[in-house]
Amino acid sequence: MEMSIASVKFPLTFRSVLLADPKIIMISTPICVSSRSTTCRRTSVIVNGMGGGSAKYKGTQMREKKLTELIEAKVAEATQVCEGDRGSDECKVAWDEVEEVSQAKADLRRKLDENKDPLASFCEENPETDECRIYED
Amino acid sequence: MAVSTVYTVQALNSSCSISTPTKTHLGIQQRQVLFYSNAGKKTNKGRVRGGEIRCAGDTIVIGLAADSGCGKSTFMRRLTSVFGGAAEPPRGGNPDSNTLISDTTTVICLDDYHSLDRTGRKVEGVTALDPRANNFDLMYEQVKALKDGIAVDKPIYNHVSGLLDPPELIKPPKILVIEGLHPMYDQRVRDLLDFSIYLDISNDRDMAERGHSLESIKASIEARKPDFDAYIDPQKQYADAVIEVLPTQLIPGDNEGKVLRVKLIMKEGVKYFSPVYLFDEGSSISWIPCGRKLTCSYPGIKFAYGPDSYFGNEVSVLEMDGQFDRLDELIYVESHLSNISTKFYGEITQQMLKHADFPGSNNGTGLFQTIAGLKIRDLFEQITASKASAPLEATKA
Repeated sequence: MEMSIASVKFPLTFRSVLLADPKIIMISTPICVSSRSTTCRRTSVIVNGMGGGSAKYKGTQMREKKLTELIEAKVAEATQVCEGDRGSDECKVAWDEVEEVSQAKADLRRKLDENKDPLASFCEENPETDECRIYED
Repeated sequence: MAVSTVYTVQALNSSCSISTPTKTHLGIQQRQVLFYSNAGKKTNKGRVRGGEIRCAGDTIVIGLAADSGCGKSTFMRRLTSVFGGAAEPPRGGNPDSNTLISDTTTVICLDDYHSLDRTGRKVEGVTALDPRANNFDLMYEQVKALKDGIAVDKPIYNHVSGLLDPPELIKPPKILVIEGLHPMYDQRVRDLLDFSIYLDISNDRDMAERGHSLESIKASIEARKPDFDAYIDPQKQYADAVIEVLPTQLIPGDNEGKVLRVKLIMKEGVKYFSPVYLFDEGSSISWIPCGRKLTCSYPGIKFAYGPDSYFGNEVSVLEMDGQFDRLDELIYVESHLSNISTKFYGEITQQMLKHADFPGSNNGTGLFQTIAGLKIRDLFEQITASKASAPLEATKA
């Protein structure tokens, strides 16, 4: 496992300097799903030490939690279904579901990192609803 | 003093809509514009004071095939940045909407045209990659309507709940981008596209973001591969531009995958699209910019350019292997590329620096995505200019 700090040596005025944060560890392993090297696709996997933004509203925080639980459940389900027949339709669909929910979570994480809570405009109009209670960190 | 001018515009037909501002400007000479249309059964006659005319065909449609989830793709963010303004989800709407709207651009996620929701797909045993899970008739109808200047009620596919939510209103924008897994799958939809791009960078998977282990990521990629190869990958042959990511050739026996070799494959003969080239268009070039004028750190940078054949189409391929380490490397490379459609010297470098925190900012993915964005802007301006001059031609006749 190689630890490296991703940094781009651009002037300090750019956000890239934040990438020199030691909490970010990059692990790159080739994930080749085919034994033929010509079709071997390189996949890089990044482990992010600490997320940037956090959920501001209770509704978003609950949604994030729900997605995390859903991912775990779907992964367990997919692993189980594929034990039988890896080429079966059920197996394909199960992993596709994992892909979908994990992408949804990644999307939500990214929005929060950019301080764009999806409930932001709704909660501006309806601050009194339960979902819009400010979540204290 | 009344001045009246009569224009005969043959090209103007009933598919033009006129929007009037709610307030009239006081102190400005009121103009009366009378429209007479003889096309079709109705004759429209009306008075318009200083309204904006948007005719059918003002919208250009870009297709983007990518497996990285809608709106997330770095390419989209770079593209909207080139046009100026930030793309935001529609305000006050469904918080799980996949749509992004900026001043000039609207990005629609094709997942919204799923005919089967998550439960439905499970029952039928199909993945989201399968065409059977998507309603291409509706996709075609609505993209066509938007292109013709008609607003649509587009369904929303909620990725969190896995259900189809009530529709949202989408108004026709200047630039419509349809992003997703199948923008070029259906022939009818393909014919509506003014430009299409296939991004083959579907393998960046952030473990912590996704919330599951390396092993399960691998399993997921493997399980989806047959459907991906059967339905998504073949769209490459229809794309006007393909961005492909491959392992580097600069580091022998490289296992880390940090340094990338990226190819920009551009179709020849596409209207309003002139492929980027190095030094001499149509010839084959191999270029290492590092040397006396430019010092690069290991493993350096290598470019290749040349004509090729891709799925039976004539293409030009520009390839970059390696990484940018410093600002001057970027500007040096930019100054040697031709047909990049920049508006000023250093625009590519400026765009790359503006988004230095985006993934791929130091290699070919960022560079080619930025170039593709500039090409699309160029295409848009050319199409708009050619439409503006068409009515003038009619008056001269």
